Amino acid sequence: MATADPVAEYLSHLQRELIGVDAAIAHDALVDAEAHLRAAIAAGKSATAAIEAFGPAADFARAYAGAPAPDHHAATEVAGSTHPAASVAGGSGAPKGAHATLARIPLIGVWFHPRAWSSLFYFLAPCFAIALATFVWVVCLGSLVLGTLPILIGLPLAVFLLGSVRAIALAEGKVVEILLGVRMPHRVQPVQVLTPIGGVAEVGFWQRIGCWLTDVRSWLSLAWALGNFFVATVLFCMFVALGAVALVMVGVPLAQSAGLTTIQVDGDMREVQFLWERVTPDAEGRVRISALTSVLSIVLGMVVATATLWLALGTGWVYAQVVKAIQVARPQAVARRFAVIA
Amino acid sequence: MPSDLQDKILKDLSNGTAWLVVLAIVAGNDEPIHGYEIGRRLADEAPEGLSFKQGTLYPLLRTMEAEGLVRSTLVPSTEGPARKCFTITAEGRRVLVVWVDAWRRTGRWMNRIIGGIDGNR
Repeated sequence: MATADPVAEYLSHLQRELIGVDAAIAHDALVDAEAHLRAAIAAGKSATAAIEAFGPAADFARAYAGAPAPDHHAATEVAGSTHPAASVAGGSGAPKGAHATLARIPLIGVWFHPRAWSSLFYFLAPCFAIALATFVWVVCLGSLVLGTLPILIGLPLAVFLLGSVRAIALAEGKVVEILLGVRMPHRVQPVQVLTPIGGVAEVGFWQRIGCWLTDVRSWLSLAWALGNFFVATVLFCMFVALGAVALVMVGVPLAQSAGLTTIQVDGDMREVQFLWERVTPDAEGRVRISALTSVLSIVLGMVVATATLWLALGTGWVYAQVVKAIQVARPQAVARRFAVIA
Repeated sequence: MPSDLQDKILKDLSNGTAWLVVLAIVAGNDEPIHGYEIGRRLADEAPEGLSFKQGTLYPLLRTMEAEGLVRSTLVPSTEGPARKCFTITAEGRRVLVVWVDAWRRTGRWMNRIIGGIDGNR
């Protein structure tokens, strides 16, 4: 009969207690609990004593699920106590104080939601940059791997490609966590493995390679590196276009009212269309739109900008969920298998 | 006093002081400190009757990190996997000074009130 591992049993119990909790939080809870118990055992405690000192799985699960993730600010209640830090500690994340009140205003509240702005920034810069760089890397190295596989040099290159894609996915997850505000789990690394008699053993080089190859997240990350390029490009173009349209619709009338020439055309052009208004340029080709069109253009521009922010907020959430799904794929299976922190 | 009420009072006292002592332990370490080590020191130095379930530490540290009081980093270990260790932030130090001051004033106030009471009266 196989010797039961009390820590594995405790983690299994904890896993059941965490059912219904956000997958990333559940993953972090399992990793923290396992790391603590293994550290206690390594320090000379018996597994039973370590578990006793750690406390019941149900209490730990309840407390962990109620604690805000490091990128969020919500609950201030922990382990039955209200902590005093809320009044003195600052931080980032969801809107707070006056911003929170403004962010709750229907429709236009999104202007005061920091997450909407950080999401927009994400899709305009890092998202596209990371996706482009990753795509180029995977295509170039992938081609080299395929080309050199027949002479076996491709094998170590393939492992290198897989490892690099895992690292890039992890880095991307951190950027997503900061800018899109969706908590990413600590990724489990195959550092130690449980032995059949309940101990732990170092994972060797080849075992680690094997773990990469058998971890579904490696392959998901590779697929994501290829597919995300197209998604990121579409999102980048969409938000650049929407932002430019909103900027022009608001900026042109305002600049014109400030006495600046915003639209100047060739002298041969007899008519210019701005939105619905056909405008005849003056002798020098300057185009001046009417006051009514200016006002309506600004209003419409603000509507487009507001819609863009809502779209960024919503798209950001969906995008982050996809990235998270790749990062937390099979967390329980991995947590059971490895004694880890990462 | 019924023992369940006594337990509740002691538990509330543990919970109420956990933030301060955990932050103080993290602040007192020059090197990043692992959750297990914090838990061990809490258990070793806790007065009789007060006990901290070490599992409550992690939600606490997680919330502290969310509040910007501590920062976690992965520290390579020669004895096993890399460990998530905690260091105090500048904001954490500022909060700690405020707490310590509040605690000392509370302590003086408590001592003035309960100073004349002993266990036999």
